[in-house]
Amino acid sequence: MNSSSPASEDEFLVLDAVSQHFDLGKHLFSRASKGVVKAVNDVSLSISKGEILGIVGESGCGKTTLSRTIMQLLRPTSGRIFLEGNELSALSDADIRGQRINFQMIFQDPYASLNPRLTVYTTLCEAIRTRHPGLKGEALRERVVELMRTVGLNPAQMNRYPHEFSGGQRQRVAIARALAPEPKLVIADEPVSALDVSIQSQILNLLKRLSAEMELTMIFVSHDLSVVRYIADRIAVMYRGQIIELGSAEVIVDDPRHIYTKALMSAIPLPDPRSERERERILLEDEPSSGDPETGVSEGDILEEVHPGHFVSTRPFDRQLKADRT
Amino acid sequence: MALLDVRSLTTSFHLRSGIVRAAQSIDLSLERGETLGIVGESGSGKSVTCYSIMGLIPQPPGRIESGEVHFDGQDLLKLSDEEMRQIRGNKISMIFQDPMTSLNPYLRISTQLTEAIRVHGDVDEKEALNRAITALEEVGIPDAPKRVQSYPHEFSGGMRQRVMIAMALINDPDLLIADEPTTALDVTVQARVLDIIKDRQERLGTAVILVTHDLGVVAGTCDRVQVMYAGQVVESGDTDQIFYDPKHAYTRSLQKAIPSLKAKDEVLYTIAGTPPDLSKSVAGCAFYPRCPFPKVKEPEGPVPELVELPDGHCLRECGYCDRSQPIEEVLAQDVEEDVQ
Amino acid sequence: MTARTAKMVEGAESRISSQPTADDLEKGSSLWSDAWHRLKRNRLAMISLFIFFGIVLFCVIGPFFSPHDAQEQDLLKGALGPSAQHWFGTDTLGRDLMVRTMEGGRISLLVGLVATLVALAIGVIYGATAGYLGGRVDAVMMRIVDTLYALPFTIFVILLMVAFGRSLWLIFVAIGAVEWLSMARIVRAGVIGLKKQEFVEAAVSLGYSHSRIIVRHLIPNVLGPVIVIATLTVPAVMLLEAFLSFLGLGVQPPNASWGVLINEGQQNMDIYPWLLILPAFFFALTLFTLNFLGDGLRDALDPKSSKD
Repeated sequence: MNSSSPASEDEFLVLDAVSQHFDLGKHLFSRASKGVVKAVNDVSLSISKGEILGIVGESGCGKTTLSRTIMQLLRPTSGRIFLEGNELSALSDADIRGQRINFQMIFQDPYASLNPRLTVYTTLCEAIRTRHPGLKGEALRERVVELMRTVGLNPAQMNRYPHEFSGGQRQRVAIARALAPEPKLVIADEPVSALDVSIQSQILNLLKRLSAEMELTMIFVSHDLSVVRYIADRIAVMYRGQIIELGSAEVIVDDPRHIYTKALMSAIPLPDPRSERERERILLEDEPSSGDPETGVSEGDILEEVHPGHFVSTRPFDRQLKADRT
Repeated sequence: MALLDVRSLTTSFHLRSGIVRAAQSIDLSLERGETLGIVGESGSGKSVTCYSIMGLIPQPPGRIESGEVHFDGQDLLKLSDEEMRQIRGNKISMIFQDPMTSLNPYLRISTQLTEAIRVHGDVDEKEALNRAITALEEVGIPDAPKRVQSYPHEFSGGMRQRVMIAMALINDPDLLIADEPTTALDVTVQARVLDIIKDRQERLGTAVILVTHDLGVVAGTCDRVQVMYAGQVVESGDTDQIFYDPKHAYTRSLQKAIPSLKAKDEVLYTIAGTPPDLSKSVAGCAFYPRCPFPKVKEPEGPVPELVELPDGHCLRECGYCDRSQPIEEVLAQDVEEDVQ
Repeated sequence: MTARTAKMVEGAESRISSQPTADDLEKGSSLWSDAWHRLKRNRLAMISLFIFFGIVLFCVIGPFFSPHDAQEQDLLKGALGPSAQHWFGTDTLGRDLMVRTMEGGRISLLVGLVATLVALAIGVIYGATAGYLGGRVDAVMMRIVDTLYALPFTIFVILLMVAFGRSLWLIFVAIGAVEWLSMARIVRAGVIGLKKQEFVEAAVSLGYSHSRIIVRHLIPNVLGPVIVIATLTVPAVMLLEAFLSFLGLGVQPPNASWGVLINEGQQNMDIYPWLLILPAFFFALTLFTLNFLGDGLRDALDPKSSKD
């Protein structure tokens, strides 16, 4: 690992050339392979303690697969993942289960991420006891009350079931459940994209406050650059399974270098009619719909450090600037 | 006279658990070639308004309680089902949010497009196919003569939404209703799709109603905006008025609550609480319980009428709160408040 | 269009919220209690439930109040029509038909309930395990189910009879062994659908054990459709038992089940029609009530109407 690599081994979370490939199987008669989808391809990253890393990209860019790979819900096809120097990717399934309390996930859909048959109290108790198996009675109850207060829920509602809450409240329950085992790392996968605009900001503020208060390390995955910009310290832009640009949130938003990041930025509609009218869009040709998803990927030096901490992919990019249409 | 003129349209859903007043005395009007944005959160009644105009409210449990929908001189609510069918897909068409489920997966694109043409006009198959190909080319689908024979699953989400637009516009409708047409799409694709709608509109003079929760989409696309909250229009005006001189407490709060690329603030502004229960009647102002401005008096009596100001800006002026202060000073700058 | 408009109605439903008012500890209402409330509003299902319990009571405690004994023969009183002394009349051997109908009902209901419970227990655990583990384990487990499905049922029962001799327990085993197959398939399909839900992933990421995830997080969520199927399985099992008894493979005289009684009745139905009509009436009534109850449960437990 050379000095210009964005990954270094003594960091809190380190991804070293992580890939996640899905085999599409073989044709029935010819036994020829139907191909491999490289959902995540050769991603190296490191995150320091207490940092919030945003991962942005459009649908199908591999951001969700990457977060599930870090969570060890999918084991990486190749590459290594270290959490505080402990190589997660080398552990057996049984050993991983013991480690899971250290990294937790907040899911996108608060309607699907809570077991509809369990009350908030039961859900949180179960989660708390993964860290403190002996806790019971009044002490356990107090911990539930404390957790509910932390995420802004009324503890009087602990005996309610998920369907009795609104979307925003459910997402608070899901956050409380993720915090219950006192994890070191939290991955939030599009945690606000299923919520109404006025509720979004409540949840974003909550996450930001929690990460500051509890020194949580967080990976925040979203398709919405403006949301990520608000919450993240650093942003990684993903495209076709790879990180194509990585840097501090300000740098990525104010001084993007990669053409794809620029196109992404210019496509975000601004809630400001005057600047919308004057704005120049950077449009890319349509994604090549057929063919190998690997097009345009070459081995070799992956990310180049253009400024300290600002990395841009040096691989050739497979999409052309579109001739002006606006 | 305006192309579309909706007056005090009220639609409710009569459910076992109560009567939900989903859209309450909606007024809107739209000229040819104009784009009206309807903005609001889920449940604010924006989709219900469009479905009511299209005559697509499931009845029961839905019921259009009152109102008039004048389109091109006739009241759509008084038409028979048969007459309404003649108008839908022909003079008024609609694009839906989800491009994945809006096309029949078992039929070729060509079949679906030519069907849309031939239902509303005496056109032979060959002519219809040619028009279908032209329509696909106009929405920027490459290699249209070949792709027209594909099935929906062979297209990506963005491409499918373009096919939907082509289908909606194929009979050159006077009015296009687009219900969250880009919400399910990526931003880069969204930009392309919005461009296509704008482009077609400029060439054909189609009037467009664009329903969205995204203020950014409205800012770049619409001439006029209606802001809806809890089944009511709370404010309407031309786009600049709404964005640079918002008056209603909800509009002002909403603008501050969206994370923006430019914002450098450490904490986002939030609107405390959740939208109200529409099965209960509201006194005075639906937004009152969440309103961040200093309260002047308790809300009582019926909700005030939408009043038009001299510059064409319409507002539900309530008078229960004091909105003289800048919004930044009154909005909760922290979530602590709703924790305790 | 229907799915879309349904979504809109659902959206309208979700607008009806129960906002917390007091700070006292609130009692939540589970999906089960919601379903029970919905079921209570379904008049047909409630009447069926009532009648079904009536029939069960009639069969279970009825014989204790009857002066007659089911086995007691009196050839002189053979095949009398309904009278004040014998309300349902007597059969060709002079046995009181009412007591025989009650005792036959006991056996039919017992077979129906026990075999269904057996099928339920095996099917749910087997199906949930196969669906949850997936992959090769699932493939092997489901091929076993397919193979068992392919066995002709009557031959299977005859083989069992030949090997172990006739007994009531064997009927439970034979019917249970067939009925659990469809249960397993339904549960497996449900679990595969649920497995992709985020709350199951959340349970995995909390490090819960496989058995905990299956028992606490998956099975309760597939139980809705399973209960509906179970309600509809009870009459199916009773029909199977009647079929076996009709073939002479089931309950043996002097014991009786409704199937046996109907079989006896149809042999003399031209001369003594009450021997057929009365047991058949109770049998049909039970089947009807259970089917209506199953339909009512399906509506009450339907996740679409219970969401939000």
